[in-house]
Amino acid sequence: MKVEFKARRLDLLRMHLDVIREAFKQAVAPDRVTVEYPRERKKYPANFRGIIVFDKDKCISCFRCAHICPANAIQMTFYEKAWPGIDYTKCIFCHFCVDSCPTGALRSTKIHDIAFATMGEMKLNAVQMLKAPELTREDSFTVEYVVDSQGWRLEKKAEIDELALEQFIIPEKRRVSVCVDPESCLGCRLCVELCPNDAISVDRKANKLNILPEKCTGCGICVRNCPMKVLELKEVK
Amino acid sequence: MQEWQIVLPEKKHKKKFFGNLLEEVIKPAICSHCTACAAICPVKGITAGDRPIDFPNWLKDCVDCGACVKVCPRWDYRPLGGVGSYIEMFSARSKRFLGQDGAMVTEFTATALEEGIVERAIFVARDEEWRTRTVSIIDPEQLKNRKITGTKYSFADVLPAVKEAVLDSKAVAFVGTPCMISALRKMQRSFRKFERVKLAIGLFCTENFYHSQLSEFLAKKGVAMKDVLKTDIKKGKFIVKKADGEITFPVKELDGIIPPGCKVCQDFSAVEADVSVGSVGSEAGFSTVLVRSDIAKRIADAIRARGYAEFRDASLEAVKKLCDYKVKIHPYPPKKEG
Ligand SMILES: Cc1cc2nc3c(=O)[nH]c(=O)nc-3n(C[C@H](O)[C@H](O)[C@H](O)COP(=O)(O)OP(=O)(O)OC[C@H]3O[C@@H](n4cnc5c(N)ncnc54)[C@H](O)[C@@H]3O)c2cc1C
Repeated sequence: MKVEFKARRLDLLRMHLDVIREAFKQAVAPDRVTVEYPRERKKYPANFRGIIVFDKDKCISCFRCAHICPANAIQMTFYEKAWPGIDYTKCIFCHFCVDSCPTGALRSTKIHDIAFATMGEMKLNAVQMLKAPELTREDSFTVEYVVDSQGWRLEKKAEIDELALEQFIIPEKRRVSVCVDPESCLGCRLCVELCPNDAISVDRKANKLNILPEKCTGCGICVRNCPMKVLELKEVK
Repeated sequence: MQEWQIVLPEKKHKKKFFGNLLEEVIKPAICSHCTACAAICPVKGITAGDRPIDFPNWLKDCVDCGACVKVCPRWDYRPLGGVGSYIEMFSARSKRFLGQDGAMVTEFTATALEEGIVERAIFVARDEEWRTRTVSIIDPEQLKNRKITGTKYSFADVLPAVKEAVLDSKAVAFVGTPCMISALRKMQRSFRKFERVKLAIGLFCTENFYHSQLSEFLAKKGVAMKDVLKTDIKKGKFIVKKADGEITFPVKELDGIIPPGCKVCQDFSAVEADVSVGSVGSEAGFSTVLVRSDIAKRIADAIRARGYAEFRDASLEAVKKLCDYKVKIHPYPPKKEG
């Protein structure tokens, strides 16, 4: 009976000491889970879906971004060619437009925290999208959650994360339009008319149609519009 | 394939291809209104419906691909006729469906769907005013609808629906008049995708009508289309069944509204069909069936094996007589009027 009581007292003492030590530690160097934004920023992954920038030299005006946008936030406007503009009152940041762009003319930044004064300003045209929006940055630290065998913690580095990304390049599977059923081709040449890149040529004398794989961007406009559905996108090595 | 070649038909006039069709088929009034050209036109410029085939603004909008000429059964027209070749002939009545006669068109379609021979079939349905409308049948249950089975004596845009169907389905059936069947064969010869039409059911046919003209004609007889329960042509008589009785008059009275394109057609029995079905040659309530192709034979055998229909003998003589009659009354080239 006595021995047992002694052992418990030792345990209790140890527990109290632990608590006091922890209290001291938290008072001097506290642990935390929150990010002290805006003085510091969390490091976002390279495929973060933020504000989108536009590269006019890459755009082939294929309208894919506008067609795929589930929020109907993309409006094509004619400049040198038809270029996309994004209405951020509607954009849901799904980035289907970025993913669907066959030439990488749309790409993401890690910027998500910009403020607009009016709803009207949230409607960006292609020209306004040529550069990443300017930010006044107050952060001087980047923090990152680290998970390892010791549990997880927040690591803080005295560095600034670059938010305007270079294009995030996924190893490309290049696809080009191919005629899979030439014997059903009507010879209407709609594909020739519609190709934004002049990748389909027609030899009027020999009545031959020809898809130039080196010019084809795989945008799929011809595939969608072929009245006999004889064209398909096929992967090329 | 990256490079491929297109075969173009020879032009007979120095015009775009639709202009050629206009000169050779539409202006000479030998167009059968089969709607193959409207079906194939890549810019959907050729219009059909209840009016003669046209292409408003073709001078500008025709892309001159020649597809319409390739599929037109009246381009380089050589009339077909006779009973044609067939594997077997019988008279039958479906035990499962109700139709114009013995509902054997419907029975063939239902069995083809059930046997997995086709994925869908294009039928012609009607509205209250008897205007035609195509429907895609994927489930035999749909064929219980009496507005879907039965004959409508008005043109229908069947081939445009067939064209849409072959883009999505690998095995399609359709029902059509002899001109449509001939057009389909031309489509199959010109564009491989139409090989997906596995079953072409041809109807015996003497003539068809524009809905507006037929309803105007019947209105003069005091018949409103919406009151009509059934129309039929039997033994030279046009029969209109209504809830409160029947009106009958000789088909001859309709002569003025028979489209000229029908008047150069000599194919009564749809000789190019997989199976041809009509009323001539059978008793009332039965359809005459000419099984012409192996696929149709397979379906006929399945119908027999499952006991889906009641079979009798058909009169070849009666069918022959009508075939000969059609050749006689529809000479080609047409006799000059007056
Ligand atoms: C315009 C026309 C003229 C005809 N002339 C004759 C004739 O002179 N002598 C004769 O013996 N038979 C003629 N027939 C065929 C006859 O009327 C019946 O259609 C045939 O006997 C089949 O009957 P069923 O009961 O087996 O068909 P059902 O099982 O009732 O099926 C009828 C089928 O006809 C199709 N159909 C109905 N109207 C049209 C249309 N306008 N265009 C294309 N398809 C249509 C329907 O989609 C359905 O598939 C004609 C048919 C048509 C459409």
